[in-house]
Amino acid sequence: MDAMYIGIEIIKMVVIFLLMVQLVPILVWIERRGSAFIQNRFGPNRVGPLGLVQLLADAVKFAFKEEFIPGGSYKFLFLLAPVVALIPGVLAFAAIPLGAPFSLEPFEMFGNTWGPYDLKLQGYDYGIGIVFVLGVSSLAAYSLLMAGWGSANKYSLFGALRASAQMISYELGLGLSLVGILLLYGTFSFNEMIAIQDGPLTFMFMGKETIIPFLPNWGIFYQPLGAILFFVSVFAESNRLPFDLPEAEAELVAGYHTEYGGLKMNMFYIGEYGHMMVASALMATFYFGGYNLPFVTPEAINEMFTGMGFAFNGASLMTTLVSHLILMTKVFLFLWIFIWVRWTLPRFRYDQLMDLGWKTILPWALANTVITAFVVVLMRGA
Amino acid sequence: MANNPIVFFPLAFVIAVAALGVLLASNPIFSALFLVLSMVCLGFMFLAMGAFFLGGVQLAVYAGAVTVLFVMVLMLFDLKDNANPIAKGLLSRFLKVSSIGVFVGLITGAVSLTKYYPVPVKAADPSSMESTRVLAVGLFRDYVFAFEILGVLLLVIAIGVVSVSRIKGGTHDRA
Amino acid sequence: MSPLVATVFLALFVTGFGFLLVFVASILGPKTNQSKVKKMAYECGLTSDGADRSKIPVKFYLTAILFILFDIEIIFLYPWAVAYQDYVSEGAGWFIFSSMFVFVLIFIFGLFWEIKSNALEWE
Repeated sequence: MDAMYIGIEIIKMVVIFLLMVQLVPILVWIERRGSAFIQNRFGPNRVGPLGLVQLLADAVKFAFKEEFIPGGSYKFLFLLAPVVALIPGVLAFAAIPLGAPFSLEPFEMFGNTWGPYDLKLQGYDYGIGIVFVLGVSSLAAYSLLMAGWGSANKYSLFGALRASAQMISYELGLGLSLVGILLLYGTFSFNEMIAIQDGPLTFMFMGKETIIPFLPNWGIFYQPLGAILFFVSVFAESNRLPFDLPEAEAELVAGYHTEYGGLKMNMFYIGEYGHMMVASALMATFYFGGYNLPFVTPEAINEMFTGMGFAFNGASLMTTLVSHLILMTKVFLFLWIFIWVRWTLPRFRYDQLMDLGWKTILPWALANTVITAFVVVLMRGA
Repeated sequence: MANNPIVFFPLAFVIAVAALGVLLASNPIFSALFLVLSMVCLGFMFLAMGAFFLGGVQLAVYAGAVTVLFVMVLMLFDLKDNANPIAKGLLSRFLKVSSIGVFVGLITGAVSLTKYYPVPVKAADPSSMESTRVLAVGLFRDYVFAFEILGVLLLVIAIGVVSVSRIKGGTHDRA
Repeated sequence: MSPLVATVFLALFVTGFGFLLVFVASILGPKTNQSKVKKMAYECGLTSDGADRSKIPVKFYLTAILFILFDIEIIFLYPWAVAYQDYVSEGAGWFIFSSMFVFVLIFIFGLFWEIKSNALEWE
C-alpha cells in the first residue's frame, strides 16, 4: 500500500484505457483493408506505408471539424452522450485479466527499496467478474438514448429507441448462454476459469474420469451451442452487422447519431469497438482458454524464462508479456471474425432481428441450460 | 470496508445529490437520468460494502433494466417542462409542508440516535465466492418454496402486462 | 486497496478524458456560422412539422418489461449455476436440478404464451 503500489495501479488503469483507445485506429485500418480485400479492391494505401497513417490523418481531420449543436436540443445531454458511450466498454475491459499475474521481489528504484508485490494484469479483480461485466455492459443503452433524445430530431429518437430495444433483447441471450459454462466451471471469477481450462480434455463419464489427451480442456468443447449463442448475442449487443439497423445508412439516415459530427461521432465508434474488444476477450476467456496456451501452464513458461537466465522479476514480467500476447492473438482472431462477418452477410430487418432474439436465441439458450444441468447430474451424480 | 470513510462518504454524497436531483429537476428526463446515476452509485456502494454479487445484480437489473424502462418510456412522451409541477390549494400545501416536517423529524431522530463507535467489520476478500455460495445455499435449500412462488409471481406480471396493454377500448385492443 | 477505488478512478478518468476530447473538438474547429436553416433537424431534407406523439407505440414498453422479467430469472440462474457442482457432489443433485427445472418450466410457459399471443410482434 505504498506510493509505488498506488502509482503502478494508477498507471495500469491509464494504460488499459489507452490500450482500448489506441486499438481502435488499428481496428479501423484492419476493417478498411480487410473489407477491401473481401470486396476485391484496394483499401487506403496512399497515406504512409500500407496506408497506416491514414487513420492518424483521419483523427486529426475529425478534431478540426466545426462544432455543431442542433437548434432546439438539450446542449448538455447532446454533449454528454458521446462521453457516456466510452464508459461501459472501458469498465468492462478493465475487469478481464489480460495476462498472467506476476509477482515482484524487492527491487531498487529512485534510491528506495520497494517491497514484494503481487500484481495482476487486470484493472480490478472482483470475485463476481462476469456479473459485473454484464451489469456494466447493460449501461451502454443510456448513451444511445441520450444521443437520440438530445438531438431533438424525431428520427434520431426512434432510432435510439429501436437500438436500445434491440440491445436489451439480446442481453437476455447473452446472459443466458453463459449459464451453461458457469454450471461447468462453478465460479464467476475469470482467473479461476482460466486456471480450470488447462491440461487435456477431462470429463466425468458415468462416474468415471475420462481423458482425451489430444484436445485441450477448453470451454468450446463442452459448450459449442452456448458459444454460438453467445457470439451471435454479442454481435447484436455492439450493433454490428448483421444487426446494425439502428445505424444503417439507408434506413434512419444514421439513426441515433445523425446530428453528430467530428470527434463526438468518433467517440461513439470508440465505444462500439470497445464493446467488440470486450466481447472478443470474453469469448477467448470463456471458451478458448484465455491467456494460456493449450497444455502449457504459466509456471512452465516462467521456468523456461528462468532457465534462460532471467532474474526472478524479469522472468515473471516476461511470462506476463507472453501470456498477454497470447490473449491478444486470440482477441484479434475474434475481431477479424467480427469484421469478416460484417462484410459478408446482409443486414437483418428489424422484426426479423427481434424475432431472432426472443423466439430463437432465448428458447435455445434455456434448452442449453437445462440439458447441461441434466447431463451434469447424470454423469457426476452416479 | 464499510467503515472506510474515503470510499463511503463521497459515494454517499453523490447518491444524496442524485436523489435530490430526481426531485428537483424540472425536466422529467433529467429526473430519470439522475435516478440512473443514483442506482449506479448504489451498486458501487454494495460493492464497497462487500456484497459483491448483490452489487453486480444492482448494476445489471436495476441500473441496466428498470431505469432503462423509465428512460425509454419518458422519452416516448413529449412532456413539457414544468408540466403542472405544483398543485394549488390550501390542503395540498399543508400536506406538503407537514410531510416535509415528518421526514426531517425522522432523519433527525435517526441521526441523533446513532451510536458512533467503530464496529470492527471483517473486510471481505473481493476475489472470493463465499458470499455467493451462502446466497445460493439459502435460496435453493432453505427458501426453495418461496423461490418457486417468486417464479409464479413473475409469470403473473408478464401475463398481466400483456393483458393490460390490450385492454378493451385501448389502442391495441384485440377484440 | 479495494478494487472499488480503482473502478471509480477509471470511471472518473474516462469521463474527464471524454469531456476533454469534446472540449478540444469545440476549440479546434472553425468559427461556427449558425444560421437558422442549418440548425433545423435533419429529416432527409424535408421540413419538419414537429413530432406526432398522439399514438405512442406500446411495443417498446412491452419489450422493456419482458426484458426486466427475464433478466430477473437469469439473475436467479447465476448463483444456482455456481453452486450446482457443490450440491451434486453432496448428493443433492436431483433435488437442485428439479427445483430449478420447475422454475424454468414456469418461465418457458410464460415465454411460449408471449410468443403465441404475439405480444412481441414488430410488424
